[in-house]
Amino acid sequence: MMIEGTQEYSLNMGPQHPSTHGVFRMVVHLDGEVVTKVEPKIGYLHRGLEKMAESRTYTQFIPYTDRLDYLAGPHNSLGYVQAVEKLMDTEVPERAEYLRIIFAELGRIASHLVMIASGSLDISGWTPWSYCFRDRERILDLFEMTAGNRMTPNYFRIGGVSQDVPEEFMPALKSFLEDMPEMIEEYYGIFFGNEIAQSRMKSVGILPKELAENLLITGANLRASGVQYDVRKAEPYGIYDRFDFEIPVLYGCDTYDRHFIRLLEIQESKKIIEQAYKDIPAGPVMTKVPKVLKPPVGKVYHRVENPKGEMGWYIVSNGSTKPARVRIRTGAFVNVQMLPEIVKGWKIQDLVTIFASMDLVLGEVDK
Amino acid sequence: MVSDILRVRVSELAARFNGEVEENMGELELTVDGRYILEALTDAKNFADVPCDFLHDLCGMDLGDHLEVVYQLSSLRGPQRLRIIARVERDNPVINSVTQIWKGSDFLEREAFDMFGLQFRGHPNLKRIYMWDDFEGYPMRKDYVIESHEQRAVMRVRKEGE
Repeated sequence: MMIEGTQEYSLNMGPQHPSTHGVFRMVVHLDGEVVTKVEPKIGYLHRGLEKMAESRTYTQFIPYTDRLDYLAGPHNSLGYVQAVEKLMDTEVPERAEYLRIIFAELGRIASHLVMIASGSLDISGWTPWSYCFRDRERILDLFEMTAGNRMTPNYFRIGGVSQDVPEEFMPALKSFLEDMPEMIEEYYGIFFGNEIAQSRMKSVGILPKELAENLLITGANLRASGVQYDVRKAEPYGIYDRFDFEIPVLYGCDTYDRHFIRLLEIQESKKIIEQAYKDIPAGPVMTKVPKVLKPPVGKVYHRVENPKGEMGWYIVSNGSTKPARVRIRTGAFVNVQMLPEIVKGWKIQDLVTIFASMDLVLGEVDK
Repeated sequence: MVSDILRVRVSELAARFNGEVEENMGELELTVDGRYILEALTDAKNFADVPCDFLHDLCGMDLGDHLEVVYQLSSLRGPQRLRIIARVERDNPVINSVTQIWKGSDFLEREAFDMFGLQFRGHPNLKRIYMWDDFEGYPMRKDYVIESHEQRAVMRVRKEGE
């Protein structure tokens, strides 16, 4: 008997699948090898951080924020502590502001390195992976020597940072910055300039500008679709308005550009850290804040540019020691929605590359 | 900083829908009844000169006697920001979905439904997103009872014959 036509079937990918970078699960509907539909299923890492925040004091919640985007811990806490400081009208010492910027941008570089590394690993490129992780290790060492933790430093406090950096921090940072141009050259040579990488990624998974805006995509994924928008420039928080840096933008809208824009952003982060390294003043790193924090009644919405997309902190205070509501808008959670839109018609091996280019981290998707 | 022109636009909008405007800490906030939310958001999206055309966040909020849906609007082309709050009844929390304006509000609305039990009318796929499908209750509501460790331990004991 001859079978006419083809039959659609569904395949379950994840939550334990090496290419899903965590515990992401998707039900893939396939026609042969061609993807017809993808249903993302999330919630495997849901810890209920928003609910937890309501039963903890403002200070007690800081370590939890690091666990949102665990590849770039400092930037999450930066958003949270700045939102609470806005609510309480607290001034932060100059040195602490600079240290915060240095840590946040180092976190961004570390996060982007992991993204480039795992992106190359998904198309079987082992060497770029080992190069990126080798260099990321140096950033984690910097975190470790200051705060004791590597991925979730828990370094920021409401009113400053927990302690000053140790003596050996600044020389180590300087040598890292000096080695960076060579590293970037290496990544370019071995991954972005590679013919196989280019043929696997160029013009795959197009996300047009209008669709990206309608899907509320933020962060580097939006900038790779031709929208030059970055909260650090549009609504500078902390002391970002003092630094001279560019917002990279690419117009290819494809998987390659979503990878490549991260490399460009690493270069801009390097510029910021270099300026902060040059200008950092001496002085205290923590302002005087009361032992028991009681922000006045009010609400605040604070936005920061996380490596994975824009993060928004909506904090409602009822005047007590615990917040009435902490809402965390994470970039990666909203960005998941681009996956079903852009994979239609691509083969299953392209699905893996497209997924890698979205740069999701499940800690942020599932909260 | 809130620009004067945005202030004018928002007060016009408030007059149309009988809403209240508040401003503190440099943030403009408009509170309206949940019935008018679709019209209010469409108008805010099409404000002349200061369009608030990017839905930055959508979340639920429990105030005890009623629920709220909070919309944080901004724009990719300007500094304008606006927060619109829609009031809904606690017993019958029905509100129009904004997925027809912003496709990306799909997941945000599903999350608000999952956590607060807000019913978004017109949503294409209103299912729980974080919790499993047969989970009972809405965890982010203030009256949700968190089980103690002892209770949970009892629940984990498997009944005989299961």
